Amino acid sequence: MAPMTCKNFLNGLPLRTEGTSSRDAEAHIRNCPSCRNITEDLNAIHSAARSWGGEELEPPAHLWTSLRSQLEREGLIRDERDPQLEPSNSGWFGRWFAGLPRPALAGGYLVLLIAVAFGFSRPVNRQVNEARWLEGTQVSTSPLSAQLTAEQDSFASFNNSNPVVTASLNKNLAIVDNYIALCEKSVQEEPQNEVARDYLYEAYQQKADLLAQMTERGENNR
Amino acid sequence: MPEAEAIRLAQQGNAAAFERLYRLHNRRVYSLCLRMVGNTAGAEDLTQEAFLQLFRKIATFRGESAFSTWLHRLAVNVVLMKLRKKSGTETSLDELTEPDEESGGPRRDFGGPDLRLSGSIDRVHLQRAVEQLPPGYKAVFVLHDIQGYEHNEIAEIMDCSIGNSKSQLHKARMRLRELLHEATRDKAREDRKAASADSGGED
Amino acid sequence: MSASHFVRERLVCNSSWKAAGLLVPGLLICGIASAATPQPRRQEQHFKVQTHPVVTLHNPNGTITVKAWTKAEVMVISNRASDDVEVDAEQMGNRVDVSTHATSDNVAPEDMRADYQINVPEDAELQIHNDSGEVNVANVLGDMNVETVAAAVDLEDSAGYVTIKTVGGSFQCTRCAGKLEVSSISGNLRLTDIHSYHVHAQTSTGNILFSGEFLPNGLYRLKNYSGVIEVRFSPADSFDLSATSLKGKVINEATLTPKAHQQHFYNRFGNSLIGTFNAGRAKVELTSFDGTINILKRD
Repeated sequence: MAPMTCKNFLNGLPLRTEGTSSRDAEAHIRNCPSCRNITEDLNAIHSAARSWGGEELEPPAHLWTSLRSQLEREGLIRDERDPQLEPSNSGWFGRWFAGLPRPALAGGYLVLLIAVAFGFSRPVNRQVNEARWLEGTQVSTSPLSAQLTAEQDSFASFNNSNPVVTASLNKNLAIVDNYIALCEKSVQEEPQNEVARDYLYEAYQQKADLLAQMTERGENNR
Repeated sequence: MPEAEAIRLAQQGNAAAFERLYRLHNRRVYSLCLRMVGNTAGAEDLTQEAFLQLFRKIATFRGESAFSTWLHRLAVNVVLMKLRKKSGTETSLDELTEPDEESGGPRRDFGGPDLRLSGSIDRVHLQRAVEQLPPGYKAVFVLHDIQGYEHNEIAEIMDCSIGNSKSQLHKARMRLRELLHEATRDKAREDRKAASADSGGED
Repeated sequence: MSASHFVRERLVCNSSWKAAGLLVPGLLICGIASAATPQPRRQEQHFKVQTHPVVTLHNPNGTITVKAWTKAEVMVISNRASDDVEVDAEQMGNRVDVSTHATSDNVAPEDMRADYQINVPEDAELQIHNDSGEVNVANVLGDMNVETVAAAVDLEDSAGYVTIKTVGGSFQCTRCAGKLEVSSISGNLRLTDIHSYHVHAQTSTGNILFSGEFLPNGLYRLKNYSGVIEVRFSPADSFDLSATSLKGKVINEATLTPKAHQQHFYNRFGNSLIGTFNAGRAKVELTSFDGTINILKRD
């Protein structure tokens, strides 16, 4: 039987790289540096990809917050809590760091904050999903701005057992409030300024997260 | 909470069940999206869109296939639609490859020696090369070599034949080989330039 | 029995009673004194683990030091400030969970503290929550998530996917590789000798200093509201730059080739600088609301 040619070897590569091989192919590789190089290169690419694929990357936490808000807006989910699915928190320390309540709290505060702020500014050139979400929430949540103010006022007496933490949270809440006020002013003056609008959106997210953290820690002291 | 129970509760609109399903699958879907589009902002958007579609359609899931296969099929479709929109044309999966590719046969380098990819392949170069693949090649390569799916799973996810999946994978690897060799040659050229600049005292 | 003997016995008895009389209050005083002074509690625990263990730590306040070692073991040394806190450390498979919790409801702030020294295999994944104090991690190459309110975080020689979230705590990272995402509200962020392909650093009122390598195809996003963003580059670096400060200044020492990029949004509001340095292999995006952006040559 005639020895395998390079053309035949290369044409059969798709099957061969999946682990199947023939004696003819192996003999050809032994004698043909070019085809051997190609085979080794393809194996090296496969190995490199495998080691890369070993890492599964975690998406950022805000993705679930945003997703959940959208699902709630579409009426796809209810806010029942299944005790079987809730993480078990032992004592108030455990509740400090409970991952489940905080994103939900942060998401709720975020909805309220954005509805209040965008009540007096028009969203221009937003991404489609976000624009639809904002339009939807404006109508349904604008009466809640008073509730937001009351909620924030309840933190006037926020006091955690750790004075360093208390001071830091209060100070940074004031920083973010100031930051929001300046961004809102900028957005009002220049409604087309997307960068300013993005800063404002991020400030809301920061505030929502801070309020959620304060809620967790404040509840632990009640 | 087993996945089957979470699916059942999610079909009834249970919020905690949705979150359970999200936590079970978010890493795999996000990794897939990120490796397909190469940037975190795009990957986040696509991950969110994939899960939105999943939760909108979850009531229709009947268990004919594995839930994860169904979800990843949604995710791949979301990604491919995005890539198609970017390329400006509606094309089928089979067309999402280099159009002048002859069917069945691999491309070969003509002229110039075959170069070994020496040592281990640099992750950054591989990432960059994958980003340059046509969408169809990229999808199969990411699913098979990076995410670890088998060809029969890829065929179900991408609605193609097993033979098609194997052929696309081989073409993807050959194309990556070319791109990685180009990157190696470019780097060698830059290093030579830098070395001669240092020795010649040029800016 | 003679009278003198009787007297001696009485004296001895009296002495005994006197001694007892002195001893009991003495013991009571000692007991009260010891109860008033907090006694540090040191605990050392060892856990055998396999590759890529996960170590989680929840602590309200204290200094946490994590170092890598070559043993397939996690060692946890804890020092409690008082008996009002307890340390729990338990192992579930390849995961070690450590937490500090109060034993009563009214614990004084100075007592609500535990310091930790933890040794882990270098490929360990860490999840640390420490509200105040310090977090120091060195030579750990696995993924890491650190969350704090006011603790200062210091990393050295890390290599995995690192996410750091602080409210007011500062962050310092030296010789770190891998992927780095850090956000803070008022903390300063200092990234030096970085060899990472993905850096996303954001603070509102803190300063950001970045001095490291711009890897080909790397992405470097630094963002603040006010304060200074300072980036240092070398002549051999290669990056596409986009620097925007809406109300502040952009000071640049890099010779850039002006180029229109589809990916970049040229902001007509504020001060923007867009261009390519050398071959533009990495992407650098610097954004500030009213702070100053400095792009300076490395000494």
